[in-house]
Amino acid sequence: MYWSGLSAAANAAAAYQTGQTGYPVGHTPTGTYTTQRAAGSTYDTGYQTAAAAAATHSTAAGTYPSAAASATYDYGYGRTTQTAAAAAAAAYDSSKTYYAQPSTATAYTGADTHYHNKTAYTNAGAYTTTSRQTTPVVTPKTSYTSTYPGAAAAAATATYNTSPYAVQTTTANKATALPVYMQQTSQPATAVAAVKTPGNTWQTFKKQGTVPNKTQKPKAPPKPQQLHYCDVCKISCAGPQTYREHLEGQKHKKKEAAAKAGPTPSRHGASLRCELCDVTCTGADAYAAHIRGAKHQKVVKLHQKLGKPIPSTDPVVVGGTTKTSTTTAGTAVGAKTTTSGTTAAPTGTLAATTTTTTSDGKKDDLKEDLLDLKEKDVEPVGQEYIEEIKNEEGKVISFNCKLCECRFNDPNAKEMHMKGRRHRLQYKKKVNPELVVEVKPSLRQRKLQEEKLRRQQLREEMWRRREEERLLEEEERWYWEERRRYEEECEYLDWCRRYPRGPPGPPPMMPPGMPRPPFMPGMPPMMPMRRPDSSDDRHVLAKHAEIYPKEEELGAIQKIVSNTEKALKMVSDYLAEVDAPKEQHIKPKAKKEKEEVPKDDDDKKDGDKKEDGPPRMLKGVMRVGILAKGLLLRGDASVQLVVLCGDKPTRTLLDRVADNLPKQLAVVAPEDKYDIQRVVEEAALVVQNIGEQRISVNVTLTSPIMREQLLHDGDSQVTAVKDPPDVLDKQKCLDALAALRHAKWFQARANGLQSCVMVIRILRDLCQRVPTWGPLNSWAMELMCEKVIASAGQHLSPGDALRRVFEALASGLLLPGSPGLLDPCEKDPIDAASPLSAQEREDITASAQHALRLIAFRQIHKVLGMDPIPPPKFQRGGRFTRKRRRDNSTGEGNDSEGGDGKKDKKEDEDSKMDMDKDTNSSKHLMVEGH
Amino acid sequence: MRGGMIRPMGPGPHFGPKMKQFVPRLPFDMVLCESAFPRVKAAPDESAFTQALLKRNADLSPTPAEQAAVLNLVTKIQAVMDNLIVDPGNFDACQIEEVRQVGSYKKGTMMTGHNVADIVVILKTLPTKEAVEALGKKVCDDLRAQEPQEVLVLTMLPNDRGFEISNSEATVRVLVTTIHQNLRKLDPELHLDQKILQSHLAAIRHSRWFEENAHHSTIKVLIRLLRDLRGRFEGFEPLSPWMLDLLAHYAILNNPSRQALPINSAFRRCLQLLAAGLFLPGSAGISDPCEGGNIRVHTAMTLEQQDLVCLTAQTLLRVLSHGGYKQILGLEGNSSIASEMSVWDGVVVSALEKAYEKPPERPPQDDDTDNMDADDDPMETTDN
Repeated sequence: MYWSGLSAAANAAAAYQTGQTGYPVGHTPTGTYTTQRAAGSTYDTGYQTAAAAAATHSTAAGTYPSAAASATYDYGYGRTTQTAAAAAAAAYDSSKTYYAQPSTATAYTGADTHYHNKTAYTNAGAYTTTSRQTTPVVTPKTSYTSTYPGAAAAAATATYNTSPYAVQTTTANKATALPVYMQQTSQPATAVAAVKTPGNTWQTFKKQGTVPNKTQKPKAPPKPQQLHYCDVCKISCAGPQTYREHLEGQKHKKKEAAAKAGPTPSRHGASLRCELCDVTCTGADAYAAHIRGAKHQKVVKLHQKLGKPIPSTDPVVVGGTTKTSTTTAGTAVGAKTTTSGTTAAPTGTLAATTTTTTSDGKKDDLKEDLLDLKEKDVEPVGQEYIEEIKNEEGKVISFNCKLCECRFNDPNAKEMHMKGRRHRLQYKKKVNPELVVEVKPSLRQRKLQEEKLRRQQLREEMWRRREEERLLEEEERWYWEERRRYEEECEYLDWCRRYPRGPPGPPPMMPPGMPRPPFMPGMPPMMPMRRPDSSDDRHVLAKHAEIYPKEEELGAIQKIVSNTEKALKMVSDYLAEVDAPKEQHIKPKAKKEKEEVPKDDDDKKDGDKKEDGPPRMLKGVMRVGILAKGLLLRGDASVQLVVLCGDKPTRTLLDRVADNLPKQLAVVAPEDKYDIQRVVEEAALVVQNIGEQRISVNVTLTSPIMREQLLHDGDSQVTAVKDPPDVLDKQKCLDALAALRHAKWFQARANGLQSCVMVIRILRDLCQRVPTWGPLNSWAMELMCEKVIASAGQHLSPGDALRRVFEALASGLLLPGSPGLLDPCEKDPIDAASPLSAQEREDITASAQHALRLIAFRQIHKVLGMDPIPPPKFQRGGRFTRKRRRDNSTGEGNDSEGGDGKKDKKEDEDSKMDMDKDTNSSKHLMVEGH
Repeated sequence: MRGGMIRPMGPGPHFGPKMKQFVPRLPFDMVLCESAFPRVKAAPDESAFTQALLKRNADLSPTPAEQAAVLNLVTKIQAVMDNLIVDPGNFDACQIEEVRQVGSYKKGTMMTGHNVADIVVILKTLPTKEAVEALGKKVCDDLRAQEPQEVLVLTMLPNDRGFEISNSEATVRVLVTTIHQNLRKLDPELHLDQKILQSHLAAIRHSRWFEENAHHSTIKVLIRLLRDLRGRFEGFEPLSPWMLDLLAHYAILNNPSRQALPINSAFRRCLQLLAAGLFLPGSAGISDPCEGGNIRVHTAMTLEQQDLVCLTAQTLLRVLSHGGYKQILGLEGNSSIASEMSVWDGVVVSALEKAYEKPPERPPQDDDTDNMDADDDPMETTDN
């Protein structure tokens, strides 16, 4: 076991070396520590003490790792967990060598492993809080056994160990917290009990006040009189039959039950009661109405008939009864004492206070009730809201209050209602909030208050619990943060791999070289940069990955191009060689040419010749077009090279090159076969490989002289006439020169612009795919993209950049009347898109306008000609923003945020497969759209 | 209780609000990046277009007689309302807090043939339908009392926004609302709709903002032209007057030099902005200067409407660039150019199709129509 560790040390020789140099310097204070270790000289004891000394070691940890790892360790740690692991291993190894140096290896096995634990441990401890360091006694032991076997694996497991550990401690916290919590929850429960009791006592108290007035028989015994009188309901029945029916009827049973339960305290608190009829009225007016009413008269008659005592018509005030206010207060106090007596013991002061408030409230209540009855001279309000309901004859039969949603037949009742408290409250609520309505804390309000108190306690409880959870979560978060960093790093590497030409613009996250912000517990984790993860971005990236050429394609193109270049160089050498000895032969020809070309050119040529020694006909070969700009797409099989000639290229020259090139190619690449054709009208020759992939390289001959001449002389026509008869097509040569300038411009302007190259590739694909876009030449398109994206004045993600290009086109960039696309590579102001006809411009604009709206409405896949990419599963941030809801519905929550990089890629790959299949159909869609 | 306890084992982390937040972006705007696009050839002569715009504006402006009629009625009603504030007398159905003139009358963007002025009445009491009706009656009665000869022509019509008082020549819409404190006490059964009340309060803010920021006459001319456009092209129907005000202001004043653009450029720019998707999801659009919290005005439209507006502007822009300004301004032809194919100098300009698709139905009903928008606007709920 130990040896495996040692071999790991040997493997990490490089890290080891640096560790060795850095280490002893910082380690001087821990000298005592090593000696202490050495004291346990025997193998076994040394081992044991080392393990046991973990506690002391942990105290030393403060100085030790900081000194040792300040250079190597921290650096590694700042990167990813993987590198951190490696760094941990490195630090470990370095320490080992340190230990190994002074004395025998056997004496230090224990120290080694122990030390190893230590590094693994601090690695974990760095992103948890200090609390971890307080309890190292447990963990080193567990990590000791598990981490021993190998350095790298050990470091990895060390990070794993953190989570169980974190859980352990926090659960421990929870365990201690739990009793507290229990206590607290039990407290509100008693509080509730305490709160309930006063309410009960109040009710019973009320009952005591009113019950004696009533005979409380369970069933009224049938009376032998001819008049069948029901005592409970206070009615008489015509015969025994009806009487029985009445007794079994619901109405009676209800009344009976009500009588048993005692008079229900009316919500209103105070009310007037007609003892005779057992009718409760809410106000004096209602009472008066009742007394006048037919029903009351009937009962009175009945009672007179029966010879029963008729109580006076004076109303009985229910709620406070007819007692004076002083006695009410007295009973209230009494109630208070009783309640506090019963509940004081368990709940203490809290219960006591609640009871006082309730009883106080009740006191007020009673007073107010009396008051309420007296003052009835309030102004009626809300006349407008009383609707008169008329019958067919137009006679008012009833009233309807729209505010309170109640009806009454009596105009008197209407008047009363308008003065009533309920109505006034409604009026205040619904019409005039400034209306003064006397406040009356009702039973409900009191209950609300109690509820509030209880909730407050619960809330406190909640906070305490949440605090604990927060701690737990924080620890977990550091773990995930670490994971995320690791994934990010991987993603970056992948990014680099995918775009070997250098990413267009900065990568989506920090390059690894940049220092990370110091890692402090308590600091909110933050993302360094926004990832390209909007839906549009993901589609654009996926599409880009789809159209980007495969490695083998790139390799094949690279091979044929470099072979051609080498061969051309050799052709150039050969031509120079051939021409040099036969200067006599060449001279006349050259002279002939010289006569033809204008003077200044002649001078220049002479100068050139002097500088270069032997005059070379072929001065150099350059890559242009998609090859130079890096715009190759999958399936592109034709690239362009430009050969700059010392003189105007002629057909003779083309023939000479074409004749010689096969020989040179055979020298350069003897195993490959190439086919060479000359295309005189294009001023070019085409090199094609013979194999399964046909790639053709167009080599165009041109010369700067062609343009100089054009620029210098206004009368180019005249000079052109003087050219040798077999000079190659002028326009083709000029085009080749322009291509050269375009490539230079592209490298200077577009390459550095974020997302620009990617968008241009995507648009190139679009131009190839959709016939409408076909006429848009690639130079105009490149120019337009660069201008549009650069003019945004901010970095754009690929999706945004693509949308902006469509926006520009949609707003009429190509339409007549627009400024046009000034070509920066021409002297004269020329619209780069000038070849487009008005109809083509119109069609492209219309198509772009539709595409823009498709993008805006989440259908970018139709524009790109691909399948929609389902939203990644990992996004579950929808708790805060609604925007992720759709993702949530699919999100399982199983994969971590950290996993997204890989996830994304996999999805891309998958969708790519599908896309290949369905490109045709989507293409069709896109075309149809216009 | 959140996070850890509920969550199953080993899920992703919770980093508070998602780091990535939606940052709306302004669409491409040629005026703002003119320097990147130097002119290849001289700008075409647009004097005819400008003349046409000015002529159209003259046609659309109200006649002096119309203006006088509206002014007359507004002044009278305002006077009656002021009296009610000072001395309500026995009128107790409601209490008036304030009376303000708003809308196109106040802004000076009225159009001929539409002689309607808007007045907002802020009530101190809650705006029940009965109170509004009573107020309408009272105002009408007072007006009749003042001018007995008008008794026959004066009418009062209550509606769900307040009431309208009109005489033979002009109409004044009295829009009722209430003070802010009352807004949450509303009951949909009894009172006017809360949304309407809020929109009336917003109207006051709008006219105030307009007074301070958009008094430039070019803006007024452009607003009138845009309103006319909205009236004639169905596709622009969803644009509210307030959106048009803001769009006109934006098109004229939001340029590098901060000098008002000439009317022809501004008119074209309006179409260009709309065509470039200023009012599409994902665009920063124009944030409402009268609402807190960066509410983009165009979010008041549904997605379908946003598509429609953009589509119409895109077609009209192409027609305009091919010289069809007379048809766009309504001097010739009809509105079919926005929806049908047309030919200009041999160039076929075709109408566009809708891009918006209703999202497929999903079992959880929570993500339907607004889902897409939700992605783009976290602050979707507006009422304009």
